[in-house]
Amino acid sequence: MSTISTQLRDFKEPSKEQLLYLFFSIPEPPLTTSPLNDGDKHSAAEAERMNINAVLSFGENGLEESYAGKLHLIPPYLGFASLDRKSVRFTLPLSTIRRVERLNARAGVYALSLSTWHGMKIIVQLTSLRPTADAFCALLREALKAELQRGQMKAVKGFVKTCYSEALVSTTSSVADNEREDGSLIAETKEGPPPPEAEFHAGLGLKFRFPGDPKKLREASKIKLWTTYLRTHGRNLTLLRYPQCTRLVQVGLPNRLRGEIWETLSGSLYLRYTYPGLYDQLVNDIKGKHSTSFEDIEKDLHRSLPEYAGYQSEEGINALRRVLQAYSLRNPEVGYCQAMNILAAAILIYMSEEQAFWLLEVLCDRLLPGYYGPTMHGTLLDQRVFESLVMRCLPLIHDHFSAVDVGLSVASLPWFLSLYINSMPMVFAFRIVDCFFCMGPKVLFQVGIAILKINGEKLLQIQDDGGFLNLMREYFASLGESAHPDSSDPRARAISRFQELLLVSFREFAVITDETILSERRKYRNEIVNSIEMFSRRSAVRNLKTLARFTKEQAGLIYDALYKAMCVEPPPPSVAPPPSLFVSTDTHQERPETRIGLKTFRVFLSEVLTWARDEKIVLNGFQQRIDREVVEHEVIDRLFYFWDTACKGSLSFQDLVSGLDGVMFNDLMDNIEWFFNLHDKDKDGYLTKDEVLTLSESFLFIFRHEIGDAYLGAVSRFMTNTFEYGDTLLPQETNSDTGETEPRQIGQNQPYLNIATFRMVVLADEILESFFETDLSASFKLEPVPDLELPASGGGFLEDLWSNIATDDNKKIFHKFSDELGKTIGKHQVIYRPTIGRYTKLQEPKAREPLVSPSSKSIVVSNSSDTLTTSQSTSSTLTIDAAAAQDNGPGSALSSTFSPLLHVKAVNAAFMERTPFAIDDAGDDDSDSDLDMVHGEDDDQVMDEVDAFLEAHDSGLTDADKEVVKDLVNAKPV
Amino acid sequence: MADAAAGSLDKSVQVKLVLLGEAAVGKSSVVLRFVSNEFQPNKEPTIGAAFLTQKCRLEDRVLRYEIWDTAGQERFHSLAPMYYRNAQAAVVVYDVTKASSLEKAKSWVKELQRQANPNIVIALAGNKVDLVQPSDSLPSPSPASESEDEADDATATPGEAPSTGGGEESLRQVPREEAQAYATEAGLLFFETSAKTGEGIVEIFTEIAKKIPIEHILASNRSAGRNGAAGNRAGASRQEGAVDLEENPAKAKDACNC
Repeated sequence: MSTISTQLRDFKEPSKEQLLYLFFSIPEPPLTTSPLNDGDKHSAAEAERMNINAVLSFGENGLEESYAGKLHLIPPYLGFASLDRKSVRFTLPLSTIRRVERLNARAGVYALSLSTWHGMKIIVQLTSLRPTADAFCALLREALKAELQRGQMKAVKGFVKTCYSEALVSTTSSVADNEREDGSLIAETKEGPPPPEAEFHAGLGLKFRFPGDPKKLREASKIKLWTTYLRTHGRNLTLLRYPQCTRLVQVGLPNRLRGEIWETLSGSLYLRYTYPGLYDQLVNDIKGKHSTSFEDIEKDLHRSLPEYAGYQSEEGINALRRVLQAYSLRNPEVGYCQAMNILAAAILIYMSEEQAFWLLEVLCDRLLPGYYGPTMHGTLLDQRVFESLVMRCLPLIHDHFSAVDVGLSVASLPWFLSLYINSMPMVFAFRIVDCFFCMGPKVLFQVGIAILKINGEKLLQIQDDGGFLNLMREYFASLGESAHPDSSDPRARAISRFQELLLVSFREFAVITDETILSERRKYRNEIVNSIEMFSRRSAVRNLKTLARFTKEQAGLIYDALYKAMCVEPPPPSVAPPPSLFVSTDTHQERPETRIGLKTFRVFLSEVLTWARDEKIVLNGFQQRIDREVVEHEVIDRLFYFWDTACKGSLSFQDLVSGLDGVMFNDLMDNIEWFFNLHDKDKDGYLTKDEVLTLSESFLFIFRHEIGDAYLGAVSRFMTNTFEYGDTLLPQETNSDTGETEPRQIGQNQPYLNIATFRMVVLADEILESFFETDLSASFKLEPVPDLELPASGGGFLEDLWSNIATDDNKKIFHKFSDELGKTIGKHQVIYRPTIGRYTKLQEPKAREPLVSPSSKSIVVSNSSDTLTTSQSTSSTLTIDAAAAQDNGPGSALSSTFSPLLHVKAVNAAFMERTPFAIDDAGDDDSDSDLDMVHGEDDDQVMDEVDAFLEAHDSGLTDADKEVVKDLVNAKPV
Repeated sequence: MADAAAGSLDKSVQVKLVLLGEAAVGKSSVVLRFVSNEFQPNKEPTIGAAFLTQKCRLEDRVLRYEIWDTAGQERFHSLAPMYYRNAQAAVVVYDVTKASSLEKAKSWVKELQRQANPNIVIALAGNKVDLVQPSDSLPSPSPASESEDEADDATATPGEAPSTGGGEESLRQVPREEAQAYATEAGLLFFETSAKTGEGIVEIFTEIAKKIPIEHILASNRSAGRNGAAGNRAGASRQEGAVDLEENPAKAKDACNC
């Protein structure tokens, strides 16, 4: 009754390339190759990407200072960042660059003039060496050409029309030039629709008003400042971010522009630009769809900023529904999480649905990674990071909180999850959101710590969670009040608590940078992942309907094996639909449950079942290691369907536990029956002849790596005996002509062998008996899964280095390398580790006394062959006994832990001794007999062939053994 | 000073109580009914958890409930331990009109019994019982409007609870006996409640108060040497709004307006 997600493990630290895209807010190239072929991606993209040292100058008459920095060509974008990475930056789509000129400047100066769509001229002086600059220019030219060919240049015109800034700059240009009066602007912002009715995208605020008093917010002067800035520094696609831009953001964005500036600063603008029409398409796709996400969204629609007029109308509710549903469709892994409704509702006040959709995507995927997913690991991680930052910056408060056992998260979790929007009055929260989009996620931390710092003295008095929360509630309610109400200086009195908060955030805690956050996240990621995984492991075990005979610990180990299998071989979506798209149609309303397919099952089984894996002991003179491989075989698939009692074509954790329970606690008789049932597909209590053969093949498969031919012999005898007794026990038919009775002829698919007969045949053989008595159950082993451990979280440099080196891929390369070396010096050796491991030395098959009295014809034949076998193998019995004595008997070999080295020696010995053809012949013979059976030939003939095989097999052995005996004989007298 | 305060307010006991249960079963409404004796469409979504307090009088003791009302959405599950940590009481809520919500409640109970404070007192509350009562016993004349309100309050999907006239009993998916049997077996207090009508709400908290090992908590608080001051402060400010659990529950409801 639970879902298991391996998603957390798929996390990879962002690569340098990804960080670059992130920094410039550029959408990552679509359809990036899978992380596995990272190499290819690099070589393909790197040919085009390049960065170069440059000095940026802009504007006539020294409007802006020159800034040194780096120019990045990241087709189809051109980015610039000043050396401090925050003062000045831009991200220009290449399609907005209309003209590039090489400037005829003084000798030795290599400068380019870039003209953008909005008519700005940017001058970049390339300060790298000449050849580098030439190369950069060549690449730039190519990239521009490519954009031209894609027709992107034409898209710009239509796109910028959707941006309010265009309307603002064009309509106010006349105003600004002629009459510089605030009144007109105020009137415009106050009155609803602007003159050129909405080509540009706008939010609900235009119709339902924006929160806050426009006069108090000084909308008019903000708009004027922005108009000037946007006119000179470019806008929407071509915005250049100079320090003035950041300052303007920090004093609060004007409502009318807020949406567009958010999307520009966050980079969601580029997504909207890159994928025109995608949102409408998604909205179309929604129709007629249902999902649990949709249900959850529906519940929250009326609870999202309900006090805002827009959400008391159908229009606002519908827009909110569409945006949230479209996102859940676009990203089913996240689907919908409470708190997203608040974010979406907030941004929809300021932007159109399409804009809001893309901004939501940037928020959930890029700015707040993992915050809203099914495990909310990003939220938990950032709470941990926040706590650690508090410990570092405000140790007193941290100590007090631990002393009175108050968790920071009880208050700070909603701060982060909803960007302070439902903690503070909206007007203030939106100003934090402004800064958040401009300066990145670190803002959330800076503001959070500043809140604690400002309330430091009171916080040191609190005694419990409740006190903490009440204090915070009071503080947020008082943000509009003066921070220094008692000050004699009117200017100090005018500073509101909110202004004080921002001041403290960005002045005192500027030390908290993006890098700080990144490295702290790195430090605590494993801790969080571990605790989440332990949590889901515990609940998975707890939610089992039955533990069967396992302890909780054992069930945990089964879970681990399942988990590892899911990491190695993720279940296909058809088997485990993402929870959000799970549609429960049955009336019981089962909750989504993780179920694995056959492929994953094979991996799982290889973890817990010795014969479901190949273990190669590799010796190459340098190292000895065991390589594990998952094997495929009919019997494993059979097990899968055997355990799939609900016939769903997939297995749940519960199925696995119950399935394992059905075999791991069995005694001899149970095991025989279990194995019989496993092969009795129609569960009628009889095996058909075909099934008998399959069963024999299963035996051969299970015993495939056993040393010596003991098992082979056992299987052969098993087959002989089975068909013999099977035929004997068939209903007799009396031949009316001759009066003789003979078994009725039955087809391959007819019921043939019942459990009693099967049991009898198995018990007739010592080796099979011991297999069923202990070895079968014991071949299922629940052991801690070693690879499941995450690397220890210390985060030191060396550790990082090591974890980089010790990736699986690198290990493989190293192994391959040492294998090659080993081969060249002749020390490479690969030995299959046996799955049962009972016999560590060559062993001779032994037959028991015949079971059935010689009453029928076929048994006489078999008897003769049996005696033949025994007589032929007598000479070797000596050796077996010696070997068995050396090994302290088979039983102890089983119980004692298996030592690879000892075993290798034994295997070596076996290799020397054994006849090479035995096992191959066994396979051939087997398939031959199989074929014969299919053709429905006489059983006796098959029997003869089996006998012939046995003879060959035995005589081959005796030859080898004879020599051994000879050696022994010769050796003794010395 | 601390000793004096502790002496005079020996009776005030803080009890941390957590509400758990599937989304849309009406957890927030149950709390709202208990704390404010109100029933209003719940407008604020619960992100993480909401925190409320309410004082109760039981004999000569004053209990101060610190109530954590948690978010019901499944993915907030992993945050729940943060809230039920150290809780002395829990109310696990399910919806009598939704069978699956009892299953979720059972898994919460299991989790609490294994992971939470070993002495935790757990109450099982089957909410929205007004939806399944025969209409004549309802104060409201129209069962249809009744169920609509309830659905709204409980943040349920509008129209989720079909308001078929006269078929109230058919809405019930969890028989009282079944839940009662489960509660007895698992050692839980059991109530069927309606945040809408107030039925059973105060009783939950009364019974929890009776069952909680108050002496034990007091002793541990004293030994921990904290909570005295906090309890004192809050006690003074909230005294008049306390619910007197000894009174008739209906009266208590009226008295409860803090």
